[in-house]
Amino acid sequence: MRASFDWLKDFVKIDAAPEAAAEKLTMTGLEVEAIERIDGDAVFEVNVTPNRADCLSMIGIARELSASYNVPLVFPDLNVVSESKELDFNVEITDPELCRRYAGRIVRNLRVGPSPDWMKKRLEKCGIRSINNVVDVTNYVLLEFGHPLHAFDLKTLKGSMIRIGTPKSVKGSAGLKFKTLDGTERDIPGDSLMIWDAERPIAVAGVMGGLDTEVTGATTDIFIESAYFEPTSIRRTSKKLGLKTDASYRFERGTDIKALETALDRSAILMKELAGGTVYGKIDIYPKTFHPIEINVRYERVNKVLGIKLEPRQILASLNGLGLEIEEQGSAAFKVQVPPYRSDITMEADIIEEVARLYGYDNIPAELPETCLGGDQKKEDIYSQDLKRDVRQSFLKAGFTEAVNLSFIGADELDLLSIPADDARRKLVRIKNPLREEEAFMRTTIVPALIRNMLHNVSHGNRDLKLFEASRVFFSTGPDTLPEEKERIAALYFREKAKTLYREDAQDFYVVKGILEAVLAGTGITDVSYVRSSEPFLHPGRAADIIINGQKAGYIGALSPAVTEKLDLKASKPSIIVLDIDIASIMSASKRKATYRQLPKYPFVERDTALVLDAAIEAAEIIGHLKSYPSDLIEDVSIFDVYQGTGIEPGKKSVAFNVRYRSPEKTLTDAEVEALHAKLVEHIVGKTKGQVRG
Amino acid sequence: MSDDLKQPFLDELKSVTSLSDAAALKVKYLGKKGLVTAQIKSLSTLSPDERKQAGQQINELKQFIEAECDKKESVFKNDELKIRLLSESIDITLPGKFAAFGSEHPLSKTLGEVIDIFTRMGFSVEEGPEVELDQYNFEALNIPKDHPARDMQDTFYVSDDIVLRTHTSPVQVRVMENRKPPLRFIAPGKVYRCDADVTHSPMFHQVEGLMVDKDIKFSHLKGVLITFLRQLFGPDIPVRFRPSFFPFTEPSAEIDMGCILCKSAGCRVCKGSGWLEILGAGMVNPKVLENVGYDPEEYTGFAFGMGIERIAMLKYSIDDIRLLFENDIRFLRQFS
Repeated sequence: MRASFDWLKDFVKIDAAPEAAAEKLTMTGLEVEAIERIDGDAVFEVNVTPNRADCLSMIGIARELSASYNVPLVFPDLNVVSESKELDFNVEITDPELCRRYAGRIVRNLRVGPSPDWMKKRLEKCGIRSINNVVDVTNYVLLEFGHPLHAFDLKTLKGSMIRIGTPKSVKGSAGLKFKTLDGTERDIPGDSLMIWDAERPIAVAGVMGGLDTEVTGATTDIFIESAYFEPTSIRRTSKKLGLKTDASYRFERGTDIKALETALDRSAILMKELAGGTVYGKIDIYPKTFHPIEINVRYERVNKVLGIKLEPRQILASLNGLGLEIEEQGSAAFKVQVPPYRSDITMEADIIEEVARLYGYDNIPAELPETCLGGDQKKEDIYSQDLKRDVRQSFLKAGFTEAVNLSFIGADELDLLSIPADDARRKLVRIKNPLREEEAFMRTTIVPALIRNMLHNVSHGNRDLKLFEASRVFFSTGPDTLPEEKERIAALYFREKAKTLYREDAQDFYVVKGILEAVLAGTGITDVSYVRSSEPFLHPGRAADIIINGQKAGYIGALSPAVTEKLDLKASKPSIIVLDIDIASIMSASKRKATYRQLPKYPFVERDTALVLDAAIEAAEIIGHLKSYPSDLIEDVSIFDVYQGTGIEPGKKSVAFNVRYRSPEKTLTDAEVEALHAKLVEHIVGKTKGQVRG
Repeated sequence: MSDDLKQPFLDELKSVTSLSDAAALKVKYLGKKGLVTAQIKSLSTLSPDERKQAGQQINELKQFIEAECDKKESVFKNDELKIRLLSESIDITLPGKFAAFGSEHPLSKTLGEVIDIFTRMGFSVEEGPEVELDQYNFEALNIPKDHPARDMQDTFYVSDDIVLRTHTSPVQVRVMENRKPPLRFIAPGKVYRCDADVTHSPMFHQVEGLMVDKDIKFSHLKGVLITFLRQLFGPDIPVRFRPSFFPFTEPSAEIDMGCILCKSAGCRVCKGSGWLEILGAGMVNPKVLENVGYDPEEYTGFAFGMGIERIAMLKYSIDDIRLLFENDIRFLRQFS
């Protein structure tokens, strides 16, 4: 809302500089966002919150200044000299719930022409273009009182009659076509309130007039409408038509049902002054008179809620100038009658706010509450929050940089990964009004975003990427229910096999898997295994599902070359490893408690053996066989060398393993270990059909 | 007679130039067939008195030669070690093999700082769904359908009754429905509004807070939030409270802090005012308390909310919100 300081001073005689007045307004709740100097005037850009429809006008803003400066509010001339008291004109409200009051006046024999300069300037300073004196007057009064008016060319109205109703109630129709004064033909829904003459609709009530009844240069007689329309009905119509006007903006926030008469009179006076003509009496259909709300306010409650100690007279004094009718009710309370323009005030708390803002928020002390200690948070929640933080920290310490992406995804990103139609990740939650089609769904996987980030970075010459993101993903559970939200952590490792200072002796898969193992071990997870993954976007030979407690918790693997080929990735021999894991699975398997176990008393003995066996036999299987051998003396087994090449027959490989033997009761002798190891080797050779490498 | 050996030994010692010379010298005198050993053997030929005296002398000589040879040996050993170590020298100015820690995202970093300040003040942390019922996101917070207050937040809709939460305030309602006062928690998380430009992202992060108990006052709201802002931005930061409007608080306040970029002198970021809007807050609207079954006569509370992107952008002087979601590592690494 733009407000001219000169204009405001018509209604409140203050000497303050515009900056000081603006500061005052800001600190009492009408934020002045900017001050613009125009022709020696200062124009305020006022941010009016949706509850303060009364401040969408000069009088309303002036009233705020009046209350904070304690200077009386001065109203303009409202004395109409009219030719008749009543008007020979019929008004019929068919939807009294949607139109609670309808008033009008007729002005005849006026001359439509340009407005005087002073009016043009004031309108323009407040952002309204001058059209002609008649239309300008309605806009001027709109700005002055905040009450929208509409002028119809009287001669275009049929049957000396105005009806107010929806197409449904007037015509029994589900909607109609109507040309508004901007020349657009619009589809008006059946439940939108309209203004009609004896034959046809002539305006979309409270939103915009019709083209056929518009005031033109040839107009001599007008009908001025001043009405109260139900805010929600106007808002619905404005939304449905996608049409927001100065009028609809005010009607949907609530106008002053009492002052609509004042606005009407004010416009009649100005019409006569500016366009000549004769003003006729008014018609005013007002079936249910407005009854002001009464609110009981307790002095003690005011002080208690705000944390101040004001005397009753101070509390009452702070409310001066707001136009509230105050009646003292003994020493403990007072009664407030709320004027119709303050429809935002409906309860005691609202009055407390009025006291607070006029007393000044800055005058209220700041103190810390005396309160019990915390500790009401569920242990599970604290644990889960700590764990999430720990896991994120582990990735950071392992060299991964954290990414944050928007939660949206496009369906084509799942296509890129060849996610099949029956995959859970296709259970997408669709947004009805996305900003872009590529952001039309809530994401079910984080990986596509990391791939996007990789492409961005590589195209900007940022090589050797390690990115991770922890975020929720969303799975639809049906059209009327909330989706399932799951937290996951995903990471992407990108390396271009190029110049490197130190020899990379491990495959990238193992580098990332090592980090994953460390992260999981850091949460105390011991039961984790890896099985070959069938994720369609991973390299089938270099990808594993992560199994925690027997359940798939995620996957790790090299991005399939089939996917990489489809990306516009400008890199030679890129190595891309992705991993994605469910946080809840980590949470449920992680061990929170450590218990001390006695350190071993007796020394260990180690034996190494190399086997030549079929190349398809994997480490997990060999370890499994070794561990399953029934002996309490085997403390640990590990594989320390895998070799294929010269000296080993094609299709075979050499696997060397180490076994550590220890007894909890005594020092093992060489002979005992020798015998045991021989049996173990015999066992593993039998299981793997391999042979001991000489 | 031992004196006869001492001088020749000392003469020979002077000409020792290597570890092996030193060893040979030691053998010559102290070995099985060494000169000193021979003398020791010949002691048996002497009378008891002579033997005692000569024995003592020879023993002294033996210890002397041993010590001198050892001394010489260790000098050569040290020299040899020096030579070997020198040959093993590497270029210690080449970089280490570990590639450096990753960088925490500036939003996580900021969020972490905010959460830490409140948890130190005894606030717990609560979470709620990001795809939320209209009921929780709006209705229960005193924002009915067809109310202009809905214009304050451009909403993404999943269906007529399901929205992407536009603020983390619905968490307040969910927690209050399930717990009784006293309550003191913050609700951090992602929120969504359909708006995108240099300062608006369709997804951003908020932290909302709520404290409800008997006798919670507006003055407490001021105390807690001033404490928070001073911990986050420094003890001298000016703070002001001005009236505003949120449907779920009454009275409502907007909190400004002195512009940290121009030190309140007025700049482009604070639009010349010297102040930056940083928090929204207010006393919980009695209607909201009633909606969750609390008696507003018995309990009062305050609520507040802030945007993490805005705080991060101010803290790190970031002028385009989109940088935060582009994940360019040249950007992200600036915050490690």
